Amino acid sequence: MSSQLILQSLVSGILVGGIYGLVALGLALAFGVLKVLDVAHGELVMLGGYASFFAFTYWGLDPFASMPLVFVVMFGFGLGLYLLLFRYVTRTEIRTRIKNSLLISFGLVLVLQALAVRFFTADERTISTAYSFEAFTIGPVRVPVVRLAGLVVAVVAAVALEWMMSRTRFGRALRATSEDWTRAALTGVNVRRVYLIAFAISAALAGIAGSMVSLGYSVSPNIGLGWTLNALIVVVLAGLGSMRGIVVAGVFLGLVESLAGVWIGGQYREVAALVLFLVILSFRPQGFFGRAHA
Amino acid sequence: MLRVDGLEVAYGDLQVVWGVSFQVPKDSIVAILGPNGAGKTTTLLALMGLLPVKAGSATFQGDSLVGLPTHQMVERGLVMIPEERAAFASLTVEENLDLGAYTPRARPSRAATLDEVYDTFPRLAERKAQLAGTLSGGERQMLAIGKALMARPELLILDEPSLGLAPIIVERIFEVIRDIRDRGVSVLMVEQHLEMALETADYGYILEMGSIVTEGAGSELEADARVQEAYLSL
Repeated sequence: MSSQLILQSLVSGILVGGIYGLVALGLALAFGVLKVLDVAHGELVMLGGYASFFAFTYWGLDPFASMPLVFVVMFGFGLGLYLLLFRYVTRTEIRTRIKNSLLISFGLVLVLQALAVRFFTADERTISTAYSFEAFTIGPVRVPVVRLAGLVVAVVAAVALEWMMSRTRFGRALRATSEDWTRAALTGVNVRRVYLIAFAISAALAGIAGSMVSLGYSVSPNIGLGWTLNALIVVVLAGLGSMRGIVVAGVFLGLVESLAGVWIGGQYREVAALVLFLVILSFRPQGFFGRAHA
Repeated sequence: MLRVDGLEVAYGDLQVVWGVSFQVPKDSIVAILGPNGAGKTTTLLALMGLLPVKAGSATFQGDSLVGLPTHQMVERGLVMIPEERAAFASLTVEENLDLGAYTPRARPSRAATLDEVYDTFPRLAERKAQLAGTLSGGERQMLAIGKALMARPELLILDEPSLGLAPIIVERIFEVIRDIRDRGVSVLMVEQHLEMALETADYGYILEMGSIVTEGAGSELEADARVQEAYLSL
């Protein structure tokens, strides 16, 4: 096996890992703050991808230009989803939230997929811009710019989130709420509003991840579950508590998958990811960067 | 200032508070005492809107509290320090204090109150950059009180402030509680530590099995034979 092939797959792994990280950021935010597990998160990625695709196709908007728009639209979609569905989950006790949110969000997966097939057709869509096939080379390795962009967006999003969480009043309220919502409420934090905003940010992050997916990869109604699964693995790998850690773990998962693809065979990529998932759950359940909880 | 009448609270079918009535006059320390499981904490949580009130009324400065979201009570100056680890372990001491002044009511005076809190607890000033999770038990209780003061309370509610603390720190905490009262903040506390609480409180209620069984001025209750028998001898 040539070292060039290995290097190339390492780079591809890192780049796709950036998007794993980006998708996982939103999932980790919703899970960390609301204690809900939204398995429809990948469907939000799918919707963001379509938003980007249609903005490009009908209005000629470049995906980077439409990204703020997608962020806002998906933020609004997140507000709606929370008010319509997840609000009721967060009224239940913490320990029943995961179970309840799984049921609700799995239903949401089916609904959003069916609606996407109905309105967007089952065709696979990709945004092809003038720069879609541009790449630069580092030594023997080719780095496609549209895929590199996904990693860059992930890093920027993680840094922005961390800044928000450590430097703003809302961010502190967010951290307080995720540690203990009761005590946050007793501190004067409007916990329901924190939940609402956190969920909307989570959806908005999924949306911009979708933009990057439709640019560097492709969008179709059934892509959601795969992204959700990878994001879930990333969250378990990283643990909650560090947003940059999430992106690092995303890149790590991308690397593991692509190395498994090269060394063992393409069909074992997912197997490698799931084995990694089980290993982490068994030996370090709080994740690489997570705090061990009492 | 705070008036509770016939409060009943249940967890589903399990009723634990049966028609509890008490009041906290302005500028006074009132203690609710009683054994574990008497319904003390439940009463407080229901008062703060964290458990549903089955029956009864609660008014604070003339306004009903029933059905009000917790954060709005804090905005009105009703601030509770929950039992144990009231501060956020993953935030630094100063972040905790800053968060204490989260409500619009407390925000404008944030800097001034912070100075006051550091004055009262110089230890917190020394450790302001440290994560609250790394503090000792006593320091953590000081942080909890400091954080509550940051909210500019009119009435401060403390749930078992002495729990798990060394006697010398308990003394200091009660000293601070008296000091807070003298600064014009009324105090309602729930305690198992009878002696210390009765010495500090202006008025006390004894709660048993979800009902008030005795009440009286702190010194009276201390002398009350029944109280003596029930608790102090243990």
